[in-house]
Parts: sequence; C-alpha cells; structure tokens
Amino acid sequence: MKKAGIKASEIAGQAMIWMLLLAALFVSSIPFIFMITNSFEEFSYVLPNPPRIFPTRLDFSAYEYIISRSDFPTAVKNSVINTFGTVGFAVFISMLSAYGFARIKFKGREVLFRIYLLTLMVPGFLNIIPQFVVLKSLAIPGFPDGLVGTRPGLMLIYIATGVCGHTFFLRNFFRNLPDALSESALIDGGGHGVIFFRIMLPLSTPAIGTMSIFAIQGMWEEYFTAKVIVGAQESMLTIPLLLQRLNGQHATRWEWVFACSLMALLPIVILFVVFHKKLVVGGLTSGSVKE
Amino acid sequence: MNASLSDSFRKTIKKDFHQWLVAAPFVLPGLVLVAVFVIYPMIFTIRIALSEYQIVRGTITFLGLDNFVKIFSDSNGRFWYALRNNLLYGVVTTPLIVIMGMVLAYLVNNIRRGSTFFKVALYLPVITSWVIVSLVFTYMFNNSDRGLFNYLLVNVLHISKDYIPWLLREWPGNFAIWLMGVWKNVGWAMIIYLAALQGISPSLYEAASLDGAGIYAKFRHIVLPSLRPTTFFVLVNMVIGSFNVFIQVMLLTGGGPNGRTSVLQYMLYDEAFNKFEFGVASAIGMLSAIFIVALTVILNKTLKLDTVEDGGAGA
Repeated sequence: MKKAGIKASEIAGQAMIWMLLLAALFVSSIPFIFMITNSFEEFSYVLPNPPRIFPTRLDFSAYEYIISRSDFPTAVKNSVINTFGTVGFAVFISMLSAYGFARIKFKGREVLFRIYLLTLMVPGFLNIIPQFVVLKSLAIPGFPDGLVGTRPGLMLIYIATGVCGHTFFLRNFFRNLPDALSESALIDGGGHGVIFFRIMLPLSTPAIGTMSIFAIQGMWEEYFTAKVIVGAQESMLTIPLLLQRLNGQHATRWEWVFACSLMALLPIVILFVVFHKKLVVGGLTSGSVKE
Repeated sequence: MNASLSDSFRKTIKKDFHQWLVAAPFVLPGLVLVAVFVIYPMIFTIRIALSEYQIVRGTITFLGLDNFVKIFSDSNGRFWYALRNNLLYGVVTTPLIVIMGMVLAYLVNNIRRGSTFFKVALYLPVITSWVIVSLVFTYMFNNSDRGLFNYLLVNVLHISKDYIPWLLREWPGNFAIWLMGVWKNVGWAMIIYLAALQGISPSLYEAASLDGAGIYAKFRHIVLPSLRPTTFFVLVNMVIGSFNVFIQVMLLTGGGPNGRTSVLQYMLYDEAFNKFEFGVASAIGMLSAIFIVALTVILNKTLKLDTVEDGGAGA
C-alpha cells in the first residue's frame, strides 16, 4: 500500500468501510451483548419486560452463584481433562496415521483412505447407538457396565471419531512437504521413525497447532456423546451438561445460564485471540465438512 | 486362501506383508480405533436399519425394508417435511452466507487499521458453542413480549400487532433456525474468503487503480473472478452442512409443530432417543448419508473440483 497521497476519496472510502463493519459487528454482537447484559440481572425465573439489550447494572451474583455450585468444579475438571486428554491422544495418533498414509506405500492404502473419507460424510452421531453397545460389551474386570459411564469409554469414542478428520487434514499437509527432506534422512540410514520425529513433527507445528485449537474448541462444547455415554454419572458431569441442567425444563434462571455460558466461552475466545495469527486457514476448511 | 499359491503370488504376499509391517506402527493405532468405534458401528447401523432392534433385550429381528416403508408412508409426512427443511435451509442460508462472507472479507481486507480486530470479532459466532447460541436464540425468540424480536416488532417498530409465537409455528420457527445458521456461519465464510483475497496479487489492484477503477469496479472485475474457486468451496461446504443441521432444531423448536420445522438429523434423534425406534432412526441415518454423498459427488462433478482432495491443504 502506498502511504503518500491519501486522497479525500480514500478517506471517504475508509470511513465507509468502518461504518459498514461497525454496523455488521453490532448486529453480529447482539446475542453476546444480550448474554452479558442479562447475566448481571436477577430474574427469579421471570423474564424482564421490556427485554434488555444494554445493562442497567453491574452485578456479579449470578457468576458467584455458578462458581459456588457444588457441581461446578466437577464440570470444569471433567471438561478440562476430557478436552486435553482427547485432543492430545487424537492428534498424536492421527499424526502417526497421516504420516503412514502420506509417506509409506502399502497395499490397500488408497482404499483405506477412501473409507476414512467416507466416514467423514456420514452423520457422526448416528453411530452413538452401536458405540454405546460396543462400550457396554467391553468386558473389563471391575467394570460391570463395560466402559459405559466412564471417562476412558467417553474418551475412546472422542478419540476414535476425531482420527479420520485429523488424519485427512494432516495427510494433505505431510504430502505437501518436499520429498527431498525425507530422502536425505533415508540416505543417512534413518527409518520412518526418525523422519517422523526429526523432520515431519517440527515442520508441521503450524498445522498441528491449528488442528489442535479447532479440536479443543469442538471437544469443549461437545454435548451429545457425553450426554449419552456419561450422562447418568454425576461425577462425570461436563460444562455443556451443566449448562443444559441450568436450562430447566419449565423454569430457567436466565442470568445463571448466561453467566455460565460466558464463563464457558471465555477460555475459547482467549485461545483464538492469542493464536489467531498462527492459524493455518486450511484447518478451518477441513473441519467444516462435519460439525 | 487356497493352499495352491503360486510362487510369485507368495512373493507378492510377502512383499505386502513387509510393507504392512513398516506401516503398521503408524497406521494401526488409528485404524483399530476407527474400525471398532466408527466403521463397525456404521455397518451395525445398516444392519439395524433393516431390522427391529430392542436395545434392552439386545435382540435384532430382520425386517428387510420395513423401516424404510414406514418412513416413506408415514401419514404426517414427517420425513418429507424434514427433507424439505434440509433443502430449504441450504437454499435460504447458503446465498446469504456466501454474499455476506464475501463482502465482509472484502471490507476487512481493505480497511487500513483494525482489520485484526474485526476479523476476530466477526469470527466469534463461529467458535461459540451451539448449545450456548441456541439458548440465547431461544430467549431472543421468546413467544411473549419478553423476547427481543417480538418486542422490536410490536412495541418498537409496530410492524406486527400481535406477538408472534416464533418457536411454535412452522415458518417463524424455520426462520429462527435459518437466522441462527446464517449468524453462526458468516464468520467462517469470511475467514475463507479473507485467505483467498490475500492471495490476489497486489499488482492487479495497482493496474486497476492506474486505470482509475474505484472500489466497486475493483470488486467487480478483479475480486469476484478471482474468488470463484473459493465460492465453490464455501458453497459445497454449506450445502453439505445443511444436511447436518441438528442442534438448533433440537433446542429451538424441537421439530414442532408436528415435524414442520424438523430436519433429517433431528428426526433421527427423535426416533432413536425419544421413541427408541432404533431401526427407523438408523434407516433415516442411512438415507441422509446417501443424500450427503450423492450431493457431494454431484456438486464436485458440476463445479468441476475435487474439494475432498484439495479442501484440507494449508492455505
């Protein structure tokens, strides 16, 4: 961009852009403003009339209430462990798979990869019934219900369902890395293990980081699988399950729901604000085919 | 395998086996998980779709195509309404998402200061959980004078005389679902378009500036043509995404009234987890999977691109 010679029309153009973007931002922010405003209110089960867009007061008692709930620490703890445990395992296993698909020739590779792709197109939560049955039938001593209602059971499903998508994304990334790199390692007598850990891993940090961030966001908000697999276990409560609990069937204390929502949202927003410059946009596109 | 393996065949097997040994440490951990928790369940689903499945007793009775017949011949036509709503969702929201995403990306790309701020702020809806978003929209579309939309329409703008029971009626309910879909996805399209816009060579703009082209002319003659592949990509994703609509329907309208705002995924959920009709649910799942795969193939063929292969590549 040229710095010199900013004309009047240029300034007018910029002003126009600002106005349009601010307008768009306002419209897209309404739900957030609404949440924030109403989280400061006290409704005692009745909605205010007229509805409030802008806050009339600054009161954090809804937040205090949520934090002081006895199930809140449980939900936070479980959400953190589930999210990071799942993403850690899923990303590592997928990196290995992706490397195998991208860099090692073996019979049936293309067919297998096509199958992985196909699974991405099928609505995932249809599998929840058979997944539940599989977990239940895993006969492990000390677990009368198999792995239903346990963290390992939930995480196994999370990891497994993440593998196909992650593998797909990382395989493309590994394939686009220059062959010369791994050839030189092969000549030096290094096997695939050496290439993977010494060359591919360091080179693919941007891709892995991007993918992990989107995976963290997805796991953090995961509701459905958790509901089915561990929904009956109070000790396995997660933040999305807690949110749904707060949203009572007939009477809802909306300030609690919004306070809890905003607290659940904050870590994700911080994550994206901190890392947005490092995100590889390909990560966005690969995650979009499936919710 | 037969006992009479020829020598060369034996050799091939040996070579394949060796290749497999090399690949196994990399591919196997993922493959085992995928096989047990993804592929096997899918096959199991096909079996359930053709059977009556009693989950408590664990019995599966083969029925043939009965579940499908049941779905197609339902007197309320729930399946057809659900399918209609999936298609309508795609038809209504996709153009809005494409146009708004493109325009916002163009504006953000041309602003001199604050582009990062707008980029992140406009992306917020995308990273906000569906559950949270649905809760807020339920509140905003509240049926009484306490909902934001009703208040605006009746008390502020005086467009309507009566409060609209948004989430209880067919078209207002669908409207709420569409609006939420657009609101949630525009930021995603914007980011994709931004990446594409940053790939357009600055020399093109400079040449246009020398020719005296204004902001609109540049958009019309440089930006639009360069964005064609991106537009196809966004289009394909949104159309396929319209078959994955679920949470907003579950939390906003529950498919009501009488399935008129339902979609295939919600119908599947309803059959499986409210009515415990797992056979019917699995059959719906199979049908929607067929629609998705067919749509993907048709779109890729007509738009002549292989999204599946190129989509995930880093920008």
